[in-house]
Amino acid sequence: MTSSRDKGLSRIADILAKHPANRGSLIPVLQDIQQDFGYLSEEAVAELERRMGISANEIYGVATFYTQFRFSPPGEHTILSCQGTACHVRGGRQILTELEQRLGVTAGRTTADGKFDLERVACIGCCALAPVVAVDGKVHAQVTAKKIPSIISRYAGEGNFS
Amino acid sequence: MKLTIDGKSVIAKEGQTVLECALNNDISIPHLCTHSQLSAFGACRLCLVEIDGIRGYPTSCTTPAADAMVVRTDTQALQNLRRNILALMMLEHPSACLVCSRRELCEQFRPEAERTGRTTGCHTCSNKEICEVRALSEELGFAELPVPPAYHERPVERSEPFMDRDLNLCILCGRCVRICKHHQGRAVIDFVGRGSQTHIGQAFGNSLLDAGCQFCGACVDVCPTGSLADRYAKWYGRPEAVAESTCIFCDHACALALGTKNGKVTAAQAVDENVPVCVLGRFAVPEFLNGTDRLSTPHMRVGQRLRQIPWEQALEMVAGKLRQFAGDGFALVCDTTSTLEDRHIFKKFTNEVMKSTNYIEIEPDAHGVSRGSLPAGTKAALLTGNFVDLAALKELGLSIVQDCYPTPVSQRADVVLPAAVLAEVEGTILDRSGRKRPLHKACEPPGQAKPEWWIICRLAEAMGAEGFEYESAEAISKELRISNAQLWVDRVEAPPAATDFKLRRTHFRGHRIDEKVRGLRELPVEDPCALEPAQEKHEGAFGILEKHEIAPNVHEIIIQAPEVAKKALPGQFVIAMVDEKSERVPYTLCGWDAQAGTITLVVLEKGQSSRKLILLSAGDKLVHVVGPLGVPLDIELYGTVVLAAGCYGIGGIVPIVEAMKDAGNRVVVVTEARSHYLHYYKKKLQGLCDEFVETTIDGSVGVKGHAIDAIAEKLKAGEKMDCVIAVGCPFMMMVTAQETKPFGVKTLAALNPIMLDGTGMCGACRVTVGNQTKFACVDGPFFDAHLIDWDELRDRRAAYSAQEIHSLGRTEAVVTGHSGGSGCKCLH
Ligand code: SF4
Ligand code: SF4
Ligand code: SF4
Ligand code: FES
Ligand code: FES
Repeated sequence: MTSSRDKGLSRIADILAKHPANRGSLIPVLQDIQQDFGYLSEEAVAELERRMGISANEIYGVATFYTQFRFSPPGEHTILSCQGTACHVRGGRQILTELEQRLGVTAGRTTADGKFDLERVACIGCCALAPVVAVDGKVHAQVTAKKIPSIISRYAGEGNFS
Repeated sequence: MKLTIDGKSVIAKEGQTVLECALNNDISIPHLCTHSQLSAFGACRLCLVEIDGIRGYPTSCTTPAADAMVVRTDTQALQNLRRNILALMMLEHPSACLVCSRRELCEQFRPEAERTGRTTGCHTCSNKEICEVRALSEELGFAELPVPPAYHERPVERSEPFMDRDLNLCILCGRCVRICKHHQGRAVIDFVGRGSQTHIGQAFGNSLLDAGCQFCGACVDVCPTGSLADRYAKWYGRPEAVAESTCIFCDHACALALGTKNGKVTAAQAVDENVPVCVLGRFAVPEFLNGTDRLSTPHMRVGQRLRQIPWEQALEMVAGKLRQFAGDGFALVCDTTSTLEDRHIFKKFTNEVMKSTNYIEIEPDAHGVSRGSLPAGTKAALLTGNFVDLAALKELGLSIVQDCYPTPVSQRADVVLPAAVLAEVEGTILDRSGRKRPLHKACEPPGQAKPEWWIICRLAEAMGAEGFEYESAEAISKELRISNAQLWVDRVEAPPAATDFKLRRTHFRGHRIDEKVRGLRELPVEDPCALEPAQEKHEGAFGILEKHEIAPNVHEIIIQAPEVAKKALPGQFVIAMVDEKSERVPYTLCGWDAQAGTITLVVLEKGQSSRKLILLSAGDKLVHVVGPLGVPLDIELYGTVVLAAGCYGIGGIVPIVEAMKDAGNRVVVVTEARSHYLHYYKKKLQGLCDEFVETTIDGSVGVKGHAIDAIAEKLKAGEKMDCVIAVGCPFMMMVTAQETKPFGVKTLAALNPIMLDGTGMCGACRVTVGNQTKFACVDGPFFDAHLIDWDELRDRRAAYSAQEIHSLGRTEAVVTGHSGGSGCKCLH
């Protein structure tokens, strides 16, 4: 029986097989791994070091230069807080601050329990509803700081975000 | 190739860059990211030049020299550009000292950098004496920051062995990243993140150890700033001299360049710096040599105890006793880490003087372990290291140990003679392939310790033997016709332990190296009985309730001390001891609550004792808090009272402001700090006083300059002041005193940064005030600042600082008691 680790490693081998074996492939390889696994895990990067001969520290350095890569598993739900012009004018910043405080994370991070990703975005494209917060693609319109707890608890299950 | 640089016609070699060519011809072009050991990188942009026919300002470090090129390196435009580039860099660097208008006076008053936990300016930076950024800033006449600087508040990384990393000083020149890759063939560190978040780091925030660091120290050696530092060497400053010798921790015998100061080795590096040495060569030598428990005087057993005796007497006595053991009943045991010269003398002494065949020479094993046993029937033994079991001693009528460190065996011996080792001696050794390598004396041995040949020669003479009249190791090597010993400076490959520190030797002459060199305990080792990393735990009655780093390196600590809180008065201080062994350090009382039974201290991490204190966290306890001490300040109605405060003094003046205000005075508070992010307690003080003025050395907020600059401005404008009270570092108080004097304003200074015991016994705090000797701890802390002999005060402080450096000289990771954000908000 193959362990999940072995399966992961063979998926990485498959990805590498699709790219030319040189340094130039690093970014496309990282993109594929993130696509497949959802993020770049320490194990995946260590495997890349082994197979590509580039130090894990260097790979990590390169990857952190690009905002597209993440290094922890994505949360169960993704909360986008819009900071576009319309949302900004209507208090988008306070909404984000409230979210950060309630969730205990800064934008761009995942809550400790793995439930939520909090991201700031430039514009969701529904400025008329500003300020908006989108959770897993569902847009919540004209959000106020007061509404934040109820939005969160809807997704948190039994979590106690009061 | 021929080119013209600054009007001078110069020759360039094929493949040289414009920068290399200029430097070769003594034409200096500022450069920070370029380093002689590294290829060009083009990151700092300071090496800009003008070249005819090339548009703009190319970087000379990346531009290949070409025939007939005409280069200008020093035009006004270039100078301005460089100054602006440096200024931009300095916006994310603790740069205030660079733009301070009292730079020269500061330098005179305190040439050595102060030892702090967190560097907030050159004056508290271990890199000060050798800083390339500072030198460049002088050269470019850099004197102003365009906008207020930023401080990233990155934690100071001190949890790795041997190296400290404070990335708040990093200018992202990338030298460390490149040299690491070059030395290790694999990056251990790299640029992580992007934009303003970019920093030097390891994958997934792993420790250096987990990222595969070999502690070769190369990154430390090339860093142009104080960002990376050798924890042991950092506070010794620039070495006075560098001597080259051979490392004898193992038989690869790498050549080491040993930096020395005041007769001590303070740092070690590979001579051929392109190939790393192992962690022992790079980091273990100074701490091993400078260990406080080194054997330093001859000792002789008298009954149960070993008593110190002078060399002459020791030699006489040993000679007398040894005579009775001539023949095979005598044995001498050494190992091959002793020099050829020493071993020749050992053997000659054994065979000729003692008439014994039992000269025993041990070859250390792969781990450096040298174990041997004494032949049956041995009655007297001379052991030049920790080689035999304790039990062997029982059979002996006479045991003599000649060694560098005490051991259970030396503690039971009849005579103990202190030996010089490693860089303390001259001589020759053989490396693993039989080549001769020289040892050169780089430093003084501790106390009265002597080279081994010297000890045995003098002993032989004391026994009346002839042929031991050598006065130097050289004389012996001449006789032995040892010639052509050469330092191993053309290494092609690094020793195996430099690529896998598990392969390092663990023992030297029977001593565990990691027992003396504490940083080694944190590295994995092929040795089942490795020592635990040292951790000191202490329990006391004075609990810490809260602790916050309220500004970089400034810690506010609230301590349970009801007896002190009950009696405290403005201007008084306490003496706090973290554990039984720690020094007694005075801290000004910055507040107290008699009802709650608490006191508030503002502590700057400076040196060993305050370090211990700030590494505690809420919930920990201090062993002792004594106080309140000192004469309280006279609180009277003066009229207008001006309080000038800097560093810890900003906290220290709080009770004084309150009391002066209550007494009906108009109270003006002037605080100073190097930069805006170093100010604290602003709201608190604003709420207490009538007028609040902030000053910064770099001008980033409030008045530019020291507190006295704001005060002098007011005095010149004719404002009336009845009393000025300065609380801060001696430099700040001295400057305040000097500049209020012409105005005839009564000025007081709080002299508590200089005490030791706080009861007038130690005399450390002796100051001369108006030709009278006073003790700051019992007569002070407040004195008439115009009468204080500031020069004497400076000298006295300097004398204590040498001691303080020695107590900081350890290589193990600094252990923090921090609970990861719960309670303590420290940046550590
Ligand atoms: S590295 Fe240290 S000495 Fe150099 S400029 Fe910065 S603070 Fe000053
Ligand atoms: S000590 Fe050596 S191996 Fe470790 S990070 Fe520095 S250069 Fe790299
Ligand atoms: S740590 Fe030092 S060598 Fe490394 S990038 Fe920063 S300033 Fe340069
Ligand atoms: S030295 Fe040329 S860019 Fe840094
Ligand atoms: S020169 Fe360092 S504070 Fe002025």
